Amino acid sequence: MSHLNVVAALPLIIVAAAGVLAMGTGLFDSQRVRRYAPTGVAVAGIVAAFVAIVVLWGDREEAFGGSLRTDRFSLLLSAIFLAAALLVIALGWHESAAVDRRGEFAGLIMVAVAGMMLVASAGDLITLFLGIETLSMSLYVLCALEVWRERSLESGLKYLITGAVGSAVLLYGLALLFGATGALDFATIGQQLELTGLTADPLVIAAMALIVVGLAFKASAAPFHMWTPDVYEGAPTTVTAFMSTATKAAALAAFLRIFQGVLPELAADWQAAIAAIAVASIVIGNIAALVQTNMKRLLAYSSVAHAGYLLIGVAAGGIRGAEAVAYYLIAYLAMTMTAFAVVIIREREVENGEQLEALAGYGRARPVLGIAMTLAMLSLAGFPPLAGFVGKFLLFGSAVEAGMTWLALVGAAGSVVSLGYYLRVLGVLWLGGREDAQPARMLAVPGPVLAATATAALSIILLALLATPLIDISRGAAEALLAP
Amino acid sequence: MPYVSIIVLLPLAGALAMLLVPAARLREARLIALVASGASLVFSAILVGVFERGVPGIQYPDTLDWAEQVGLAWDVGVDGISLWLLVLTAGLFFLAVAATAWRTPLRGRAFLGLLLAAEAGLLGLFAATNLVLFYVFWEAMLIPFFFLMAMWGGQDRGPATVRFVIYTMAGSLVMLVALLATAFVAQDITGQFTFSIPELRGVVFSETESTLLFAGFALAFAIKLPLWPLHGWLPGAYRAAPILVTGLLAAVMSKAGAYGFLRIGLPLFPEGADNFAIPLGVLAVIGIIYGSLLAWRAPTMRMLVAYSSLAHLGFILLGIVAFDLLSAQGAVLQMVNHGIVVAAAFAIVGIINRGTSGDRIDDVAGMAAGAPRLAWVFLIVAMASLAIPGSNSFAGEFFILSGVFRQHVWLAVLACIGIVYAAIYMLRLYQTSMAGPPHGADTGRSELRAPDYLVLVPIVIVMFFIAFWPTGIVGATRASVERAIAPAQVAAGRDADEIARPPTPNPPPQAVPLPGDEPAAPDTPQEGAP
Repeated sequence: MSHLNVVAALPLIIVAAAGVLAMGTGLFDSQRVRRYAPTGVAVAGIVAAFVAIVVLWGDREEAFGGSLRTDRFSLLLSAIFLAAALLVIALGWHESAAVDRRGEFAGLIMVAVAGMMLVASAGDLITLFLGIETLSMSLYVLCALEVWRERSLESGLKYLITGAVGSAVLLYGLALLFGATGALDFATIGQQLELTGLTADPLVIAAMALIVVGLAFKASAAPFHMWTPDVYEGAPTTVTAFMSTATKAAALAAFLRIFQGVLPELAADWQAAIAAIAVASIVIGNIAALVQTNMKRLLAYSSVAHAGYLLIGVAAGGIRGAEAVAYYLIAYLAMTMTAFAVVIIREREVENGEQLEALAGYGRARPVLGIAMTLAMLSLAGFPPLAGFVGKFLLFGSAVEAGMTWLALVGAAGSVVSLGYYLRVLGVLWLGGREDAQPARMLAVPGPVLAATATAALSIILLALLATPLIDISRGAAEALLAP
Repeated sequence: MPYVSIIVLLPLAGALAMLLVPAARLREARLIALVASGASLVFSAILVGVFERGVPGIQYPDTLDWAEQVGLAWDVGVDGISLWLLVLTAGLFFLAVAATAWRTPLRGRAFLGLLLAAEAGLLGLFAATNLVLFYVFWEAMLIPFFFLMAMWGGQDRGPATVRFVIYTMAGSLVMLVALLATAFVAQDITGQFTFSIPELRGVVFSETESTLLFAGFALAFAIKLPLWPLHGWLPGAYRAAPILVTGLLAAVMSKAGAYGFLRIGLPLFPEGADNFAIPLGVLAVIGIIYGSLLAWRAPTMRMLVAYSSLAHLGFILLGIVAFDLLSAQGAVLQMVNHGIVVAAAFAIVGIINRGTSGDRIDDVAGMAAGAPRLAWVFLIVAMASLAIPGSNSFAGEFFILSGVFRQHVWLAVLACIGIVYAAIYMLRLYQTSMAGPPHGADTGRSELRAPDYLVLVPIVIVMFFIAFWPTGIVGATRASVERAIAPAQVAAGRDADEIARPPTPNPPPQAVPLPGDEPAAPDTPQEGAP
């Protein structure tokens, strides 16, 4: 350990500490403390970590002897994870899983964020795997947090089994990469591959293939998405929202770190593989989503499709590709979180709140939530001038620039298909039910939940209108990622 | 003064202001809508006054960077082609808002807000001089139209609206990829990454590139137009939408496709346009005949007008792809003519339907006896629609056909069949509904009243105005149209005397060095040197 450089690891340390502390405060006897302390600690930790990120923003620094890289890329991704955590904690204000077990809920979310930050800032293979396992372990428990509900337990178990398979495949790939190059840290692996011409080595190719598969599991990209709908449906909806945004961002961060940052020499090979997975995800995700009647399953398949769009940027590569992925992850966070927020609100009101039909006429009855959901659906479908459009514009642009126009066309075709279900949601929302009949049972929306929903919905517009600074930041992150 | 931005943004501001009005205060909502769309119309009238005829390029450009790193920007401006479309849009939407303010449907505030949003989308589309901004408006205006059709539409509106949006999106997402490809391919040629349409002019794409890029754009334009056989969304959408919205779809939104060909297709991808000119011309003629036949047998008045609109748009496209100055000017004139005539026709169908139980043509007869004033106005509109000599449409179709006759005689001959059919179906509609013994209609309810005059009289005055003085419109378009079609004329190998404004290549060829400045010729090495 040449140098620790704890300062560079500060955001990670803050988040991990907040997670442990939040879990601890959930064990107090006092009802008051149990109720407010975990959330308070978690929110304070998130704010402090945000401040640390802003302060650290700049050139790359290494911590723990190079195991951790704090650069613009890792910091931007960390900010995305933290924003997702903040929104989810706010949305979980009244959810049953969160009320009874707020200590576990807030604590595990924070631990998962710490794992994701490890992934985004990994400087060697061990740290990367450690991060992936940390976040997966927390999510296994989070999925099963509503222990009194069979579906929740089933969801946790399913995720545990498939997640373990994914992790194992990924670990195997990482081990093979280590075996081929004899190095653990990314810099040395990159040099080895560049200098020794190992690129045609079957060991390296096999390692690459296994890593692609392992990460595709985590990103829920087809054909490794089988677990996604079941797990998303069964898990508490706040956890689902967190998984579909933050976990996907973490998996994409790992994709970018490994393939763009370490293996650019093998670009020809992994580009084809990742492009194939992207196409499969777009096709399968969008077509399967067409027939869903459960909002959580619909959004699960939509998230599979979006994993495909995001992988277009990874496959295209280069600064533009990485920049597009970074921007789209932010936009995707805003729009998916908005959609889940409306589902969460409706779920608290009626028994079958996660069904599409529960939203019938909801827009007429609650115009604010209706407009929020409308923005989310239109943005997910890529309508201008919303954030999803700017994101798709960047992603397709990166593909066209990389000479993969066909991939952009597949993405465009997928977006057309996706209209079939996004518009269906809008149709039910505004036209469903009987005219002038109120939808069954409506409750007041708690302040934090409404604030989180409104913030996410407004971001959909603001992220597009203020695209210039945001793309600058994404560009900075992409440059940091590709810097040797 | 940033006239164009003001014209585009006023309705948008009005639409956003609707969000601040409480739902119960319909009065204020009406006032805002009237002021926003009225002010936009006033500014577009001022724009006509300050517009410099004879200048081919973009006038009154406004530029504001949006995401400059990737070439997105707010670039708007006006030229001789878009000028009249802006006026048409602002005028017809003002009338639509006025009509809505008179008879406001349920949830009137939302209806007015969406109307204004649709107006802003269309105005922005016609004003955009940047490919991405064009695309943004192209897509964004779908949203208000979707909700207008879905929330206030009639029977079967669900499937119809979804089909409408999916058809349009299928074309436009291909267009998105095509416009990205345009910028990147052009960057390889000029070294400049831009989506600005004026800056992309004259870029010499290879023939394959040009053809593929043109095809990508043309698909989107053809779906919006709609061109036969891509009109699958039209019957359902026109039938399901409220009649006011149907009128706007036919009068204004359909022009977006034709405008796209003239603004982007021909100037930027002349080789591609040349390769597709004959196929597009043939499809346009098929559309003319097919639309006329359908209009002839249409069971309802609304569908008759809708299908006649399909035929008229065939004429407009034919005028554009002939690459002839006269026919292209005629196409621009006809865009305006068709806009006002079809708007008037749908308004009259709406008025007739006030007094009838359904919309079927055969159920109504002899309304002239009970509603003579309606019959009069209807006669004028019907005559304009079938382009009787002396009407405004006659001028437009005459321009188009004489231009097409110069280039493709047989296409012009076939297109003339459409004129005959137009007489048949329009006269059938007029004859059955107005003439004969009265039957099936409560003419008291259908007779024109004061507010109906407010909508119809301005339209009829404009129709007569254009009929007597078409050069007032055509003259302003000349320079811009010459410039827009010149690249395609070069690609098609037309005679030099036909091409009024030969395009300049982009990037400009190496400047010819001044005498004495010539660099030493590289292929004569100085052998004597040590």
